[in-house]
Amino acid sequence: MVAFEVPEVDYTKYTNRQLAAVPLAVLALALLILAGWYVTTGAPVALGTEFTGGTELRVQTATPSDELSDQFDAEVVSISPVQTADDTYIVTFGPDAENVGDQARNNLQPVEGQSEDDMVKSVQGTSASFGQNTQRLALYGLGVAFAGMSVLVFLMFRTFVPSIAVVISAFSDIVIPLALMNVLGIDLSLGTVAALLMLIGYSVDSDILLNNHILRRSGDFYESTYRAMQTGVTMTVTSLSAMAVMALVAYVFGIDLLASIGIVLVMGLAADLMNTYMLNLSLLRWYKYEGVAQ
Amino acid sequence: MSIRDNWRVLLLVVFLVASTFAIFAPGVGGGGEGGGADSFVAENDGPTNLQYGLELSGGTRIRAPVDGQTAYEVEVSEGERPGEVEQRVAGNVSGADAADVTARLSPNGTTVELTVGNVSQEEFGSGLEAAGYEYDRIEDGVTDETRETIVRILRDKISQAGLSGGQVQEVTTADGNNFVVIEMPNANQTEVESLVTERGQVEVVAVFPEEDNGSEYSRDPVLQQGDFNSIGQATDSPEQGPHVPLVLNDESADNFSSAMREHGFTREGVQSCRYENESTEDPGYCLYTVVDGETVYAAGMGADLARSFENGDFEQQPSFIMQTENMSEARELQIHLNAGSLPASLNMDDGTSYFLAPSLAEEFKLYSLITGIIAALAVTVAVFLRYGDPKVAAPMLVTALSEVVILLGFAAAIQLPLDLSHIAGFIAVIGTGVDDLVIIADEVMAEGEVHSSRVFRSRFRKAFWVIGAAAATTIIAMSPLAVLSLGDLQGFAIVTILGVLVGVLVTRPAYGDILRALLTSK
Repeated sequence: MVAFEVPEVDYTKYTNRQLAAVPLAVLALALLILAGWYVTTGAPVALGTEFTGGTELRVQTATPSDELSDQFDAEVVSISPVQTADDTYIVTFGPDAENVGDQARNNLQPVEGQSEDDMVKSVQGTSASFGQNTQRLALYGLGVAFAGMSVLVFLMFRTFVPSIAVVISAFSDIVIPLALMNVLGIDLSLGTVAALLMLIGYSVDSDILLNNHILRRSGDFYESTYRAMQTGVTMTVTSLSAMAVMALVAYVFGIDLLASIGIVLVMGLAADLMNTYMLNLSLLRWYKYEGVAQ
Repeated sequence: MSIRDNWRVLLLVVFLVASTFAIFAPGVGGGGEGGGADSFVAENDGPTNLQYGLELSGGTRIRAPVDGQTAYEVEVSEGERPGEVEQRVAGNVSGADAADVTARLSPNGTTVELTVGNVSQEEFGSGLEAAGYEYDRIEDGVTDETRETIVRILRDKISQAGLSGGQVQEVTTADGNNFVVIEMPNANQTEVESLVTERGQVEVVAVFPEEDNGSEYSRDPVLQQGDFNSIGQATDSPEQGPHVPLVLNDESADNFSSAMREHGFTREGVQSCRYENESTEDPGYCLYTVVDGETVYAAGMGADLARSFENGDFEQQPSFIMQTENMSEARELQIHLNAGSLPASLNMDDGTSYFLAPSLAEEFKLYSLITGIIAALAVTVAVFLRYGDPKVAAPMLVTALSEVVILLGFAAAIQLPLDLSHIAGFIAVIGTGVDDLVIIADEVMAEGEVHSSRVFRSRFRKAFWVIGAAAATTIIAMSPLAVLSLGDLQGFAIVTILGVLVGVLVTRPAYGDILRALLTSK
C-alpha cells in the first residue's frame, strides 16, 4: 500500500532569512501583480458581473458562436463555450443590456428537438449600482472577517511575534490566490470571495497548531515542529485533495460556482503549506531563540 | 463501557436519528402541511423533506429596491387631510398625479412619498415648497408601511398569477438599503419582471369630443380599481374577444351611468369609436382601458348597453366587461384588478435578476451531489493513505459524514431552501471536520500506546484547545457574511458556522470517545 508519510525536513540547514525569503518573495510578487492590475484596469482583481453589473446569459443554440453577438441589441462583452455541454455558450453583456432572455428566445435557432423556451438556460443580471453596492459589502465583509480573526489570534497567544506570524501568513494565503486568479483569468465573484474567507479559517488552523506545539508544549523545537507538521500537513493535504477533486468534477459538470470555490481553495491551501512551514516557522524560530532572549 | 463514559457517542446517535427523521419522515418540517398563507416554500416532490432553492430547482429571482423617494418631517397645518396634501403636492410636481403621492400624517413626523420615476430629489423638494410644505429631508426609498403594502400586494399578485411556491420578502442590507426579493420557481423572467415593475393601476377612461367645440377632446376617468363588486375570470368569447367580466358596485354604477349619459355616449356616441392607436387624432366616443397610463384597449359603446344606461336597467344589473387585445393581457388585467395596484413599482435599474431553467437546475442538483460524494471519497483516500489503520480512519469518515447528515437534517427541519452555496458549505464542512479529527487522532496517538482513559483524556483535552481555537476563528471569519445579505455568500457562511458548531459540540467529542474505545480496549 502506498502510504503517504509527512517528510521530515532538516530545518537546521537553513537560516531564518533563507526560510522567510521564499514566501516573502512570492508574497511581494503577488502584491506586485495586484498593483499592476490596479494601475492598468482600475481594480486589483478582475471583477465578475456580480460586482461590475452586467448580464450573463447561458444558452444552448444551433446558431454558430461567431453569429451570436449579432442577435442581440446590447453589446456583447464576451462569449465562451461551456466545455461539457454541446452548443452551449455563456454570453456576457454590459450593465445596460435589457431583455436579453427574450431576444435569445426570439432570435436564436433552437437545437434540433428543442423547444424555443428551453434555449435559455440561465440569465443572471446585475445593475451597475447594485454591483457597486455588492462590491462595497463584500470588501467590508472581507475586512471585518480578517480583522476579527487577527484580534482573536492576538487574544489567544498574547505575544506579538507568534500572533503576527499567523496574521501575515493568513494575509499571504489570501493575496497569493488573488494574484493567481488574475493570471489564470478567473473573475472575482461572490463564490470566490466565499472561498477566500474559507481560506482564513483553513489557514489559521495549521498556523495555530504549529504555534501551539512550539510555544505551549515541552520538548525540543525541531521535535515539536515535526509533530505539528505531521498533523498539519496531513490536514492541509486532505483538504487540498478534497478541493482539487471538487474543482475538477465541478468543472467537468459545468457548475461554475463550485469549480471556482475549489480552484481558489486549492491555490490558497498550497500557499498555506509554504507560508506555514517557511514563513511562520522562521518567525517562530527567531522568536524562540533570539526574540525571547533579547 | 458505561453510559456515563460514552454519552458523547450517544448524543451523536440521538442527533443522527433525529436528523434522519427530519430528512426522510413524511410530514416533518412542514413538508406535508404547506400551502398556508405564510408558507412560501418551493414545492416538495422528492423522497426527502429537503427544500431546494432556485439554483437547484430552477426559476426566477428578482431583487430590487422600491422606486420612490420620501420627504420626512413634513410640516402640515392642522386639520388638513392626507388626500388634500397629496393633491397639492401632485399639482406642483410635473408628471405626478395624486395616485403617485402618498402622505402619512402622524404625530411623530409626517411623511410624503413620491412614487413616480425620473423626478429628481430637487424637483420633488421644490414641488413640496411650492405647495407650501416645509420638510426636513428627502431620501431615496419609501416608508416601511409602503414597503409592507408592496410585499403584501406582490404576494397576492403572485398567487393570483397561479405561480405556485412564489416567495416575496423584504431584505435590509448592512448599509441600510432596503430591497424586495421575489423568488418564483418555474417562472420565466419576463413574466415576473412585468408583474413587479408595473404598478397595475387599472382605469376606464371615457374619451369624447367636447360639446361646444368638436375638435377638442375630454378625458374623464369613469371607473377605477375599487369600483367593482366582483371580478370574473378572464375569458375569450367569439363575440367579445378576450375580456374580464366585472360587476360594478351600486355607487359607481350610478356615477358611471350618469357620466355616460352626460358625455353623450348613449346618443351620438353609440358605436362611434374610431381609435386605432395612440396617434389617432379624432377617435370619437371611446372607453379606454388604461393600465399604468397606457391605453391597452379602446371600445365603443354598444347599442344594447347604451339603451340600458338610458332606461335605468344598468343600475339594476351593473355588469360590464373590460376587453383586451389578447388572452395574456386579459389575465394580467384580472390579476391587477384583483390584487390592487402597487403603491410603487420596483426599480430594476438598481437591482438584480436571476433565472435558471429547471432542466439545468436538475442537472446541478444531481451533479453537485456527485461532486460532494467524490470529494468525500478523496478525503477517505487521503486519510487511509496517511494512517493505514482502518480503526482510526473509518470512524473519522463516519463522523465527518454524520456532520453533513446532521446539517441536512437541520436544513430539512427549518425548511432552509438549499442552493449551490450551501452544497459548497457542506463540502467545506467535510474539509474542516476531517482536519479537526486528524488533530485529535495525532494528538491521542502521539506519545506511544494509550493505556488508560486518564492519559487519553488529558491528550484529548490538549487537542481540543487547538480545535476550539480554530473553530472560533472560522466562526469569527464567517459571521460578517452570515448577516450581510450578499446572496451566495450568506448561505455558505451560515452552513459553515453551523457545521463548525455541530462539529465542536457534538461530532468531534464523539469521535474522541470512539477512538478511545478502539484504542484502549486491548
